[in-house]
Amino acid sequence: MRQLSWLIAAVLAVLVLAACGGAAPAAAPAAEAVVTEAPAEEAVEAPSPAEGELPMVDPLTVTGDIVTAGSSTVYPLSEAMAERFINEGYSGNITIDSIGSGAGFERFCASGETDISNASRPIKESEIEDCAAIGRAPIEIRVGTDALAVVVNPENDWLPEGVTMEQLAQIFSADVVNWSDVHATWPAEPIQRFSPGTDSGTYDFFIEAVVEPVFGEEAETKFLDAANLQLSEDDNVLVQGIAGSKYGIGYFGYAYYAENEGVIDILSIDGVDATPESVDANSYPLARPLFIYTDAGIMQSKPQVAAFVNFYLTYVNEEVERVGYFPASDEALDGARAAWLAAVGQ
Amino acid sequence: MHREISARSPQLGAPQRLAGAHIDLTRQRRPGEMVVQAFLYLCAAVSIFTTIGIVVVLVNTAVHFFARPEVTFLDFLTGISWQPRINAFGIWPLLLMTLLISFIGMLIALPVGLMIAIYLSEYAPPKVRSALKPILEILAGVPTVVYGYFALTFMTPLLRSLIGADVVQIYNVASAGLVVGILILPLVTSMSEDALRAVPMSLREAAYGVGATKLETSVSIVLPAALSGLAAAVIVAISRAIGETMVVAIAAGAGPRNFASWGDAINNMALVNPFTAGETMTGYMVRISGGDISYNSVDYDSLFAVGLVLFAMTLGLNIVSRRIVRRFREVYE
Repeated sequence: MRQLSWLIAAVLAVLVLAACGGAAPAAAPAAEAVVTEAPAEEAVEAPSPAEGELPMVDPLTVTGDIVTAGSSTVYPLSEAMAERFINEGYSGNITIDSIGSGAGFERFCASGETDISNASRPIKESEIEDCAAIGRAPIEIRVGTDALAVVVNPENDWLPEGVTMEQLAQIFSADVVNWSDVHATWPAEPIQRFSPGTDSGTYDFFIEAVVEPVFGEEAETKFLDAANLQLSEDDNVLVQGIAGSKYGIGYFGYAYYAENEGVIDILSIDGVDATPESVDANSYPLARPLFIYTDAGIMQSKPQVAAFVNFYLTYVNEEVERVGYFPASDEALDGARAAWLAAVGQ
Repeated sequence: MHREISARSPQLGAPQRLAGAHIDLTRQRRPGEMVVQAFLYLCAAVSIFTTIGIVVVLVNTAVHFFARPEVTFLDFLTGISWQPRINAFGIWPLLLMTLLISFIGMLIALPVGLMIAIYLSEYAPPKVRSALKPILEILAGVPTVVYGYFALTFMTPLLRSLIGADVVQIYNVASAGLVVGILILPLVTSMSEDALRAVPMSLREAAYGVGATKLETSVSIVLPAALSGLAAAVIVAISRAIGETMVVAIAAGAGPRNFASWGDAINNMALVNPFTAGETMTGYMVRISGGDISYNSVDYDSLFAVGLVLFAMTLGLNIVSRRIVRRFREVYE
């Protein structure tokens, strides 16, 4: 009898292990954070809100779940805000899926599964129409600014002065194979290209800001026809690829560069380095806005969503630089706060 | 290798009635039995319906893909460039890399697996055998994602240090192929070993009787006699290699190896270069569906077309393996 029960226990253990083993690969490609309940350790001191602005949020009183999805660029920022929200006493579950801006809007507007959509580009007309079809009117909330980092391997010694926007478009086009095809003094070795996947806001932004000015209508064809092109939604795949390829080049959100400084090197663009000053002054050519989107109806029916967005707007500037991005301008944040107030009817 | 078969226990049945008494066996109802039977039937039905469901969904959505105005079936079957976003719909870049990785994998798994199987079945003392088999089974139980990172963080650096970091790219087909070979090794070994052990002892004894050495017996008598089982093992292993996903998704690369034309592809050694990045059918499916999917896009529909090709390949291989087993099976005794 005892042997039998041992046997059953062993079988159960194996089954459980097998189930875990099976689940792991499926979860691996999509970075998904399910931040669960955490005890409120820090006492919430009452920070005085700026005058005439958002009402105070006390995360201790907020319950209910929040579902968010979207841009992998906004993901680290939203994750940091969610963590802080939980540390200050929020007791529900908040999920943040890192699936790309396009897919995020798909879930927000077409299937209506999410409460908040993270995006590294403004919403498109077609997506607004999809939202309207399920009775949602997206509210745009600016939370920060990203500077796209164009990065190379530390062994790269032919680009000490960075690249120009035009060279960058050439490097990522099917017109050239070797580095020397772009500039005669560069090495005659094939360019290893690393890019975020075609559904990410980062990819859209790069095509629009870098490739289209040079190649116009043909931009996407030129870009995607290039040889030695690796596309991945997982920015860590890109980082590893560039870190392992002397002749590699790639681009992604600044936060991933900040996290991997030393393993990869950032290039200046048109002679401008990505710094808080250059991003603020709009002189860095690859800066772009970061947004979260929600809807008035959702904020009214789910007070936890309104509370989280309020909390996000209140404290985002204290987290944004630690995550690796740049703060949005005060006007943009004020606009977002006004939009929040209008949506919740205060 | 003789197994003692214990004498059958006397049949336990209903007590015999007097001769002549009418016994109607069909009337005996056993509700418990019927419940069990129904449950087992249901279990069998679930697996069949799941398969049917998968095929229906695959075919339906694949039809949707081919019905798109920008997709032509001919392009799909003959094209050498795959990038659905810009209307390049040739399946060959993905198919070729799938075949190349499976080929490299089989290059490792087949000879090594067969040799291990011969050793285990013909040479190994029982003690060694009982130690080696569980180790192989552990190898089979390692999640494939672990193999994937093994390829990326061990095999790739090893290849780069042996062959040169300039030749071997960080994501490359060779590393993924070699690790796929290691991954299917336990499968090849255990199926081959079963086939070899199924060969009756009397054949071996006959060979020894006419003066054959152990090696001669193994290679010229046992191996041919087990051919059908070995062929089945090989084919199952190939279809496992073709379907392998995590290793190639992590280590092989994340972009299809495209060519401008077939001429370009054939003239160019790049077609079969194992040291550069390539993407298999499964790798493509993982990358596109990995969290990032717009239901209405051509990318999404293309997944099912690729999936259908994959399904057709593994189904075909399984059918072939069944045929081989039936046709070449040597029946003894």
